[in-house]
Amino acid sequence: MEKEISRADNLSQPFSRDPAGFVFSQNDVTYRQINRIYERDYNELISSGLYDKLVGSNLLIPHVEADMSLAQTESAFKIIRPNAIPFISYPFEWCFGQLKSAALATLEIQKIALEYNMSLKDSSAYNIQFLNGKPLLIDTLSLERYQEGPPWIAYRQFCEHFLAPLALMRYRDVRLNRLHYIYGDGIPLDLASSLLPSRSWMNFSILAHVHLHSRAQKKYVNQSIHNQKRKMTKFALCALIDNLQQAISNFNLKLTSSEWSEYTLLPHSQEAAQYKKEIVARLQAMVQPKPCRIWDIGSNTGEYSRLVAENGIYTVSIDSDHDSVELNYRRCLKTNEKNILPLLMDVTNPTSGRGWECEETRSLEERGPVDLILALAILHHVVITRNIPMDRVASLLRKLCRDLIIEFVPKNDPQVQKLLMSRKDIFTDYTQESFERVFGRYFQILAREAIGETGRILYFMKNNESN
Amino acid sequence: MKLLKPVLLFCFCDILIGFCYIDPGTGSYIFQLLIAGVVGTLYAIKLYWKKIKLLFNRSKTSGQTDGERNKQS
Repeated sequence: MEKEISRADNLSQPFSRDPAGFVFSQNDVTYRQINRIYERDYNELISSGLYDKLVGSNLLIPHVEADMSLAQTESAFKIIRPNAIPFISYPFEWCFGQLKSAALATLEIQKIALEYNMSLKDSSAYNIQFLNGKPLLIDTLSLERYQEGPPWIAYRQFCEHFLAPLALMRYRDVRLNRLHYIYGDGIPLDLASSLLPSRSWMNFSILAHVHLHSRAQKKYVNQSIHNQKRKMTKFALCALIDNLQQAISNFNLKLTSSEWSEYTLLPHSQEAAQYKKEIVARLQAMVQPKPCRIWDIGSNTGEYSRLVAENGIYTVSIDSDHDSVELNYRRCLKTNEKNILPLLMDVTNPTSGRGWECEETRSLEERGPVDLILALAILHHVVITRNIPMDRVASLLRKLCRDLIIEFVPKNDPQVQKLLMSRKDIFTDYTQESFERVFGRYFQILAREAIGETGRILYFMKNNESN
Repeated sequence: MKLLKPVLLFCFCDILIGFCYIDPGTGSYIFQLLIAGVVGTLYAIKLYWKKIKLLFNRSKTSGQTDGERNKQS
């Protein structure tokens, strides 16, 4: 599993599951140390032309070799500085389309690597990140010299990290991508097999790579691979990759209409929506210094993310509804948008640190703070639907951003009334005055503009601690 | 020779499985060997089918060219 930042204490070794090297940071720059054990594979990667081919195809992160004085341990062979990734995301934060793109990118890399007599020694979904809207491999040390005979070492990992979750999302429920959150090393195939409906047995690839594969895992559990006399030819390996590629390419997800993905059509008039866009653009123009990175929290299908990202600003477009994120991603692909990253996350239950010592994946907070947060039409959902006290919303936002554009939706708004339809109104403090008082403790309110006659108000605020 | 055999076997196995830090899983390892024949056959059919289609398309294209030539003459 890929880990981006190593702990900078002097007592413990930098963490990596792969002895070939590890990632570390110095002065906010990310480096990768390559250990001597990987020397021959690295030289082959470069001299064979595979590195140039993959980088040229936007499938591998480009890097430059850095000064050896940065070496962290005596086993260092080289230090490389990969291009920076603006925002590290994880498979459980991706929609179906993103996981599918990442899976196809992994298989394409393996296919090209085999042409150069190299092979992927791991196929972790965590080794893939989105840069300029495209998935690419960030672990340069994943490629090793290929020797004909043994099967693909990373086959099980590929099935557990990509094929099983995609099949579950396609055949059972898109929300099952959250299993990635529980199973950091991939979704166990026996679990996937038991959750998949019987019609999935009609698909040859799922039948073979999930159902029969999981049964073979049980059957041969006590056997050693060292006694195997059978070999796998390169042709058979190419056939296996092709079969997986075909299976995943054919996975298509039909979206069901979701409350959120239809949400933008609902509130108020077209004029009000247009007016809101104009205000957001005006408030964004007031942000000083100009933001380099924006998080749009509760972005729905990313309409406002597109508005702010038009200026070339890298925007992470976060929503908790799968179909909204899927629609957002499809739109990004269609219009080739490079600086928007759709992300599936519930801000009331955001990603926390996970894995060994909770350090293998970073929490949302650790991936911030960001220059600007857009929190449009989200506050009432967090406060009223999820019962999060307004004060805690403000204190969290202060930790996450320098500047904030936030929308206050009053209680008489049709959307808030809809939320209160099935419950008792216990939110006596949910007023504009209370909102300004609470947020005023953490932010300096610099501007406020009403969205026409809707009663909604947009605020531009600056974090008190950023002054 | 008796002593040498396990050593040789160990070295040979290391070459076979390469330098892998993840556990490929015995079941997954053996399963790939078992399905290699099936996916290999499917792949071979696919490749030959592509070739046949290509051949058919070529003859179709050359046929059209002949037609065009006749028209021109």
